[in-house]
Amino acid sequence: MKYFIVGAFGLSMLLSACEKKEAIQLPYEGDKIVVNTLIQPDSVIYIRVTRSVPSNIFDDNGYKDIPDATVTLTANEVALPLQLQVIKGLSYYVSGQKAVLGQQYRVAATAPGLKPVTGTDTLPSPPLVSAAAAQRNSNRVQFTLKDRPGSADYYRIRIYRTDTTNGPATFLLFRLDPAFNNNLVDFFSKGTYNSLIMSDERFNGKSVNFVLQTADPITGSGNITVEVSGLTYGSYQYLSTLSAQNESGNLIAGNPVRVFTNITDGYGIVGGVNTKRMTFKIE
Amino acid sequence: MSLALKLLTGIFILCFPLTVFGWDWQTRVTVVVKDQPLEAVCGLLEKEYGIHFSYSRELVDLSRKVTLTAHQQRLKKILDELFAPDDIRFTRVGEQVVLLPASRNTRTISGYIRDAGSGENLIGATVYAPALKQGTTTNQYGFFSLTTVKDTNSLVISYVGYQPYSQPVAPKGDQFFHINLQPLESLKEVVISAKEESKLQEQTQMSKVNLNTSEVQSMPRLLGEVDVMRTLQSLPGVSGGSDGAGGLYVRGGGPDQNLVLIDGTPIFNFSHFFGVYSLLNANVVKTTDLYKGAFPARFGGRISSVVDISMKEGDMKEYHGDASIGLIAAKFNIEGPLIKDKTSFMFSARRSYPDLLLNAALKSDNSLGMGGDFQAYFYDINAKVNHIFSSKDRVFLSFYKGEDNLLLKQTVDDSSHITSPSKYLGESSKFQLGWGNTIAALRWNHIYGPRMFSNITLNYSQYEFFTEYEHKYVLPASGEKSDMYRKYNSIMKNSGGRIDFDYRPNSRHSIRFGTITTMHNFKPGNSSFEDKDSPVTPLDTVDASLKVTGLELSLYAEDDWQIRPDLFASVGLHASAFLVQGRFYYSVQPRLGVRYVLPHHWAVKAAYTHMNQYIHLLSNNGTTLPTDIWVPSTQRVAPMFSKQLVLGIGKTSTNLKYEFSLEGYYKSMHNMIENKETNNLINPAVARWDENVTVGKGWSYGTEVMLQKKKGSTTGWVGYTLSWSNRRFPGVNNDEIYPYKYDQRHDIEMVLVQQLGPRWEFSASWHFNSGAPVTLPVSSYAGTGNASPWEPSPGNTNIDRYDNWNNYRGAAVHRLDVGITWSKPKKHWTRSWNLSVFNVYNRKNPFIYLISEDASMQKRYLSKITVLPILPSITYSIKF
Repeated sequence: MKYFIVGAFGLSMLLSACEKKEAIQLPYEGDKIVVNTLIQPDSVIYIRVTRSVPSNIFDDNGYKDIPDATVTLTANEVALPLQLQVIKGLSYYVSGQKAVLGQQYRVAATAPGLKPVTGTDTLPSPPLVSAAAAQRNSNRVQFTLKDRPGSADYYRIRIYRTDTTNGPATFLLFRLDPAFNNNLVDFFSKGTYNSLIMSDERFNGKSVNFVLQTADPITGSGNITVEVSGLTYGSYQYLSTLSAQNESGNLIAGNPVRVFTNITDGYGIVGGVNTKRMTFKIE
Repeated sequence: MSLALKLLTGIFILCFPLTVFGWDWQTRVTVVVKDQPLEAVCGLLEKEYGIHFSYSRELVDLSRKVTLTAHQQRLKKILDELFAPDDIRFTRVGEQVVLLPASRNTRTISGYIRDAGSGENLIGATVYAPALKQGTTTNQYGFFSLTTVKDTNSLVISYVGYQPYSQPVAPKGDQFFHINLQPLESLKEVVISAKEESKLQEQTQMSKVNLNTSEVQSMPRLLGEVDVMRTLQSLPGVSGGSDGAGGLYVRGGGPDQNLVLIDGTPIFNFSHFFGVYSLLNANVVKTTDLYKGAFPARFGGRISSVVDISMKEGDMKEYHGDASIGLIAAKFNIEGPLIKDKTSFMFSARRSYPDLLLNAALKSDNSLGMGGDFQAYFYDINAKVNHIFSSKDRVFLSFYKGEDNLLLKQTVDDSSHITSPSKYLGESSKFQLGWGNTIAALRWNHIYGPRMFSNITLNYSQYEFFTEYEHKYVLPASGEKSDMYRKYNSIMKNSGGRIDFDYRPNSRHSIRFGTITTMHNFKPGNSSFEDKDSPVTPLDTVDASLKVTGLELSLYAEDDWQIRPDLFASVGLHASAFLVQGRFYYSVQPRLGVRYVLPHHWAVKAAYTHMNQYIHLLSNNGTTLPTDIWVPSTQRVAPMFSKQLVLGIGKTSTNLKYEFSLEGYYKSMHNMIENKETNNLINPAVARWDENVTVGKGWSYGTEVMLQKKKGSTTGWVGYTLSWSNRRFPGVNNDEIYPYKYDQRHDIEMVLVQQLGPRWEFSASWHFNSGAPVTLPVSSYAGTGNASPWEPSPGNTNIDRYDNWNNYRGAAVHRLDVGITWSKPKKHWTRSWNLSVFNVYNRKNPFIYLISEDASMQKRYLSKITVLPILPSITYSIKF
């Protein structure tokens, strides 16, 4: 949408559009507990608990922890022990046991002066993916996804590359090949994303050879990883609305994109994911 | 009989009138009454002088109020004076005065009122018989019909900018006239005359504003263009979107809820340049009527307003034309007779031209590569032919086409691919975007008799949005080629016909009735894609487009009815039905209005109307854009309807200089659509659009006051609107009521046109509205995208928390525009210069808000973007 607004008023802007700060305070609805955890089967569970802030605060460092928070995790109503760990400068409550498919997980958090919060979700089945490939100097990455018939399934796709020296991963901007995507605006604007979140609405029960088009041709050597995650409906709603909010940019135009939360009396997500990664060498 | 008996009988007969019948026609009586009904005067005569009145209430109406001061006047004279205006005959039968309705020898005076110079029909001209104190106005084809029981020897015909004309009338029999009014000579007088000499207190119609060409032409200009839509936006009850660039919002309704008619044909998109300009060249518009409520029964199909535009017909006598060039567009208009007094034509064309200059600049420095091209323009053409077959038959053929176009064609021909394998070789792209309306209409006016006029219309209206994209390249390192072409279009078509009858049986009834048939063809979202060199098989080949045909049928009837001398009603009914995809919808819409004339020529009015709309406009993310598509009602989304109640008072001063109206309204709107609060990156198929919207309600209410000065060297108006407009949709905003995006509490409009001698005209308009609602986040917090902090991550994520929609008010918008026009008449032509300054004091009105970030200060701010700063412009015009 933003592309259209920008395009539409491009000519008007030529006339000398200007930007000016408004001398008003953004409204604030008060501090709330934020719980964030995406739970992956066969992995320990990492729970991050932070505090919300007024929107006029810019924080790109992951927000402040709530040091005196009490966090509990249950699986099918059985409490699991948690341990506070600092990883890459941020505090996480880490479970002692790995998550198990079929269990229902519930996270509760309390902190002095703040309303107690809870969030619950189950875990999704793993996505049936195979045959990932990309060609050097091409801008197409392919893989096959076999969707389960009957059920409503949700997926997230991301692509990242790691060079041979095992450096940090670089997420690639991509889009569905235009033959796949019926989103007109994305097509014309050459809009690309670093994640694609979708439901199986258009390919329920089918085996589909997905073709993704990267923003730039894949050059050099190294590894490409295609990451496909199965999502629960809760995680799907969270990730798709989060992606839509990021896409809508900073312009306050049209209807606001409200990011889904399943945390009662607070914000954030307790959501199940099931990620499969296919890593291959750039050929 | 004996002699004595005969004498007694004779004495009895002779004495009878003097004793039992204590009055005769010569009896002198005294009557002093003030504002009393005739019935009360009769009662007084009965009480004081024993004069009994006998009459049938069904035949004789004695409700008219009279004021009479008569001392010792003859009874006959007083009764003549009292009953003559109502055509009541009186006769003596025994001791009683018997009242009878006048013998019904009615006659009808009808005809056409035209411009003497051009032969152009005059809409809304007043035809008045002073002796009878009766009058009427011409309809939209310049036809009038006045049926009266009394004789008159002359009619006075008056119209804006024309010399009033007195038409002698033969004493008896029906009469038919072609009356030609002489335009006033000087430009000044044309501009300053009252637009329509029909007083507010004499119209039952309320919530209606008429704009004529001179008012539109007098307004200050934006980049040199006079504009109908921008003039409408300066009226109370009408809002114009963000900084006036975004369509019409009437009494809290949406832009899709306006029925815009050009010569009776509906159009789908009323604007050029994303809502900044109207789709019409204002120079060829004759009059524009805006109905904000109290909708006459003859209109239907949209729920919030009717904009009824009549185009010029073409001069029947001489060739005329005009041409002008401003900063944004150049245009011309020519009209004249094909056969003098029989057939005339009108043709006009307009095109914006800044892209021609920009394209030349881009080509000269080769910015777009070999074969590159850039176009960004709008154009419109109007053509009209009309032919008078006989005094009873006239045919009009009209055509309009207007488009906005954007084309960008680029080629990249550099040699960087030799060193960098990731660079494309021979890359070229072409992007084209356009939208526009095409309309055509054939109309036939026929007069069946002096009291019955008819118009038959066949019309066609189409709106199309289209876009094409081509992208070609070769990746030399991998040998990969791409040759993609994608095309998308949405078409909405209406074809139909309507028959309208205008029947004036007598001076107390003005009846219109008719039928309308419209075939709607919806073909939104047609997409085709081709990639000649791709090995990829498309994900699905399902045709996502929607092709639906719907049939709408309407019947209507309305009567402007004088119930009593001081009580009038407008009684109408509009019944419509819509057949689409095997479903059948119908609605019966009452259109009722009433007017009561108070002392001192004030009129109090009320109206209650229902309107129905079978088609919906599907917008992307709540923002109105040319990409929006029209779709018919479905099983999930029923037709929209509105109910509106209006109460008001109005008065035009006796000298026609001032007009005042005060109206309060309450409108409820049902079955409106809003996008659900979910967002998918892959859009679902258009055919299932109704799964993505939620159906809800809206309410708007408010007060509008307008004081207008219509005559003199200073004219203009002051308008104020206090209004509220709210919406509620299930699944949106936690199911709670929220203010509509153009819910602007206060709106002030001031327009001034000042004549400065015969050659100069100055105009100014000042607009103020309180801030529009915007939705701002109420807090921010951390997001997540990974199950483990050890996994690769694209970085930390921030989330803005939004609570209620439209929870904050933006800054107030105000702006002063001024213009000055200098005209110099030559022997055969007139030239004029207009200098306009838009936003004189350079108010930085918000067009859109954004949240900007300052990473170094760890702060975020609300910022506003202004797109229309101070904009001077100059326009040169010639007219012949």
